Amino acid sequence: MHASRNSGYLPGVKQESTKPGRNLSTRNKVGPMLAANGLYKFYGSVPAVQDVTFTLEPGQVLGYLGPNGSGKSTTVKMLTGLLEPTDGEVTHNGQNIHKDLAAYRRRLGYVPEEANLYPYLTGQEYLDMVGTLRAMPDSRKNARINSLLELFTLWPHRHVTLGSYSKGMRQRILLIAALMDNPDLLILDEPLSGLDVTSALIIKNLIQALSARGKSIFYCSHILEVVEKVCSHLIVLRRGQVIAHGATSEFRERIGTSSLEGVFLHLVEEKDVTKTAHEIVDVVVSA
Amino acid sequence: MRKFLQAHWESFSRTPFGCLLRLFVARMFHGGDEPGAEELDLGIGVIVIMLAMPGVLVSLLMFEKYGSLIRFLRGNPIFDPYTATMPDEYFFLVLSLVVTGTAALWRWDALFLDRRDYTNLVPLPLSLRAIFFANLSAILALATLLTIAVNAASLVFFPMAVVGSQNSFAVWIRFTLGHAVAVFTASAFSFFAVFALAGLLMALLPAAVFRRVSHAARFILAVVLLALLASSFTVPYLLTKLSVPTAHKIALLPPVSFLGLARTVWLKGADPFAATMSKAALSAAGLTVLVAFIAYALSFRRSFIRIPEMADAGPLPRFRHSVSPLAPLHKAFLRSASQRACYHFVSRTLLRSDGHLQILLGFAALGLVLSAETLSSARDLHALVTGQSPPAEFLSVFFILAFCIIVGIRFAFEMPANLRANWIFRYWLDPSQHDARPIARRVLLLFSLPWLAPAAFFSILFFWRWTTALLHTAILIACTVVLVELVLIRFRKIPFTCSYPSFQSHSALIFVAHLFGLVLFTDYLPQIEHWSLLNPWQSIVFAPLLAAALLALRQYRKQMLDMDKTLIFEEPSPSAF
Repeated sequence: MHASRNSGYLPGVKQESTKPGRNLSTRNKVGPMLAANGLYKFYGSVPAVQDVTFTLEPGQVLGYLGPNGSGKSTTVKMLTGLLEPTDGEVTHNGQNIHKDLAAYRRRLGYVPEEANLYPYLTGQEYLDMVGTLRAMPDSRKNARINSLLELFTLWPHRHVTLGSYSKGMRQRILLIAALMDNPDLLILDEPLSGLDVTSALIIKNLIQALSARGKSIFYCSHILEVVEKVCSHLIVLRRGQVIAHGATSEFRERIGTSSLEGVFLHLVEEKDVTKTAHEIVDVVVSA
Repeated sequence: MRKFLQAHWESFSRTPFGCLLRLFVARMFHGGDEPGAEELDLGIGVIVIMLAMPGVLVSLLMFEKYGSLIRFLRGNPIFDPYTATMPDEYFFLVLSLVVTGTAALWRWDALFLDRRDYTNLVPLPLSLRAIFFANLSAILALATLLTIAVNAASLVFFPMAVVGSQNSFAVWIRFTLGHAVAVFTASAFSFFAVFALAGLLMALLPAAVFRRVSHAARFILAVVLLALLASSFTVPYLLTKLSVPTAHKIALLPPVSFLGLARTVWLKGADPFAATMSKAALSAAGLTVLVAFIAYALSFRRSFIRIPEMADAGPLPRFRHSVSPLAPLHKAFLRSASQRACYHFVSRTLLRSDGHLQILLGFAALGLVLSAETLSSARDLHALVTGQSPPAEFLSVFFILAFCIIVGIRFAFEMPANLRANWIFRYWLDPSQHDARPIARRVLLLFSLPWLAPAAFFSILFFWRWTTALLHTAILIACTVVLVELVLIRFRKIPFTCSYPSFQSHSALIFVAHLFGLVLFTDYLPQIEHWSLLNPWQSIVFAPLLAAALLALRQYRKQMLDMDKTLIFEEPSPSAF
């Protein structure tokens, strides 16, 4: 993984590292699977993201962490081509994604943060629509939809409209939609949102299994335990800037904390969380 | 042939463009609102039938009017269909404009691609151009469907009723062609005019401002459409009586221009006035379609493509009132904590929820048009403000506005806001406390009287004595209070928290009762008031009348079972009996 130019909090973190045993493809001969080169995004004069640089190789799971409003979603939108950066570029296999956005998106599976689906379509209709829009052949599309609906335990609800689905069910539909065309690159924005324990465990294992098959996964979340378990590498963002990056194990070694939660608090939070909790209790119980 | 078309359609709909087209057509009928909004989902078939119904009903009435036996009995066996049908043709044109315009107004938001489309479609390997053209095709398909649905019945039945007895195929063809060209062009004009306005506003205004301005725009459009509908009672008469130079003034009205189009086809261009009007109609329709396409392209570029930036930048801050002018009234009227909480929920939902505000503005527009119609129907306009006491037409304006606002809000109460959020009321309110009606009553009164009563008082005071103003205001307040009690007689919900009421067997009766109420409240009451204001002592007649009404309502509620007064959150299904 490549580092940001202005990495500050963790000097000395290795610039290039992959987890041992990962099955890397030869794709990076033409350039990394995904690379962000000096990304900047300004809304008016307000900076949302500043100088974000990293690379994502096949088989890597890159965790993207940061508190609310730190610029995670803006970065994800730039990586998916929904937003054009004010400066810098996102490349896929060495080519700027905006040169052939449709080709890039054919290889991309994306789970957005918000499951804002068409409430009048049934689960099956929605997946069928996504498959058709992805120009999947009918036989492959139908086989994939049926199998994935079964595996994600949505088969009995396939003819129910999405408006009646629970948040977890909608999230599973989004995951199926992202996976159904066998993408090389997955960008997941809070993919476990609303999922029950079993589904969340399946997804965690799924991410690891996909990375073992050489898929690149960009995992954006603030659920630290999950990130700690599934991500080989981490980037921590604060106020739009990368403040740390490197392999997950190196983070803990550097900070000297056993959990990622401790690392995160050390890096990002300026507040004394214990003190804040006590202040809240004082307000609640005050006369 | 059918199989061939079906096979082609199926293979087309399996292509990405066909799939997008199907999706966009469906979203126009099922709604394009933000997530969480509860919407009445009627389905395409029901909507098409509803749109066709006015045309069917009016066309069927034409058989009675133009039947050869009826004409024979009237002593008018031979007639010129092109001249005799002018008022009815005008009415059909108005109907086309109003029904199509209303349907376009109703789907105002759903015509344009929104955040949901962006989130679901743009990350897929599709070009923006494909999305742009698929939605444009869907809009054209919707315009075609609306045009056909609204006018199909009149296209078949109206010529049949008018020229069926003429025994001339050529006359029948010419009449049908003239009518078809005029009503189809009128419908297309109406649809694209609404679409162009929405597109221009979307293209020119920032997203957050657009949402606020679009309420005002829709209100103005609703007033215009209702005014057009009202014009069908006077304009045809004016057209037959006015001289040509004067008639040019009313040629600015769209239905008059489209009538010119029909007459040009009927008379083969022999009427120069009609030819001028038809040129204006065709130019206006063409220009509207052109502006609509430009506005759509601009709004796509300025609004849809920039959705992720707008979502990240966030909405405009809402204007905060530090001191509400109605705060003293709230303190006096809203005594318990639950009443205050529910009132604030209801009033904010009414003013901020798109669907509910649309209903309220629609009824307000109806009130304004009815008021204007009533004032203009006065025999002597000068006498409106110079008599000994205000004439009934003048007095009825305030009664009409009160009726429309109260019935409009009461109607909006039946539309759920977000059923998933109603748990808070289910959790906190005691169903046996009967809080629902007092809350609804206060909302209705606080949304009508605080502005209507001063308006009534000062407008009467401006032209007449202060005692007349005072009496009129007191009568208006008392009558409004009785009306509020009447519309809430069986009400037992917290507004906006209950599921949609199911269609009931007595829905037609409720509609007729409202019509009867409208006539009673806005016609008879002002006449009684006009009589009573001639001698202030005669106003006492209102006291026993209103007291009796209140007493009867009270007795009716007393004899209701407790279970019929309990707070509900789900509308029970109508009984099988």
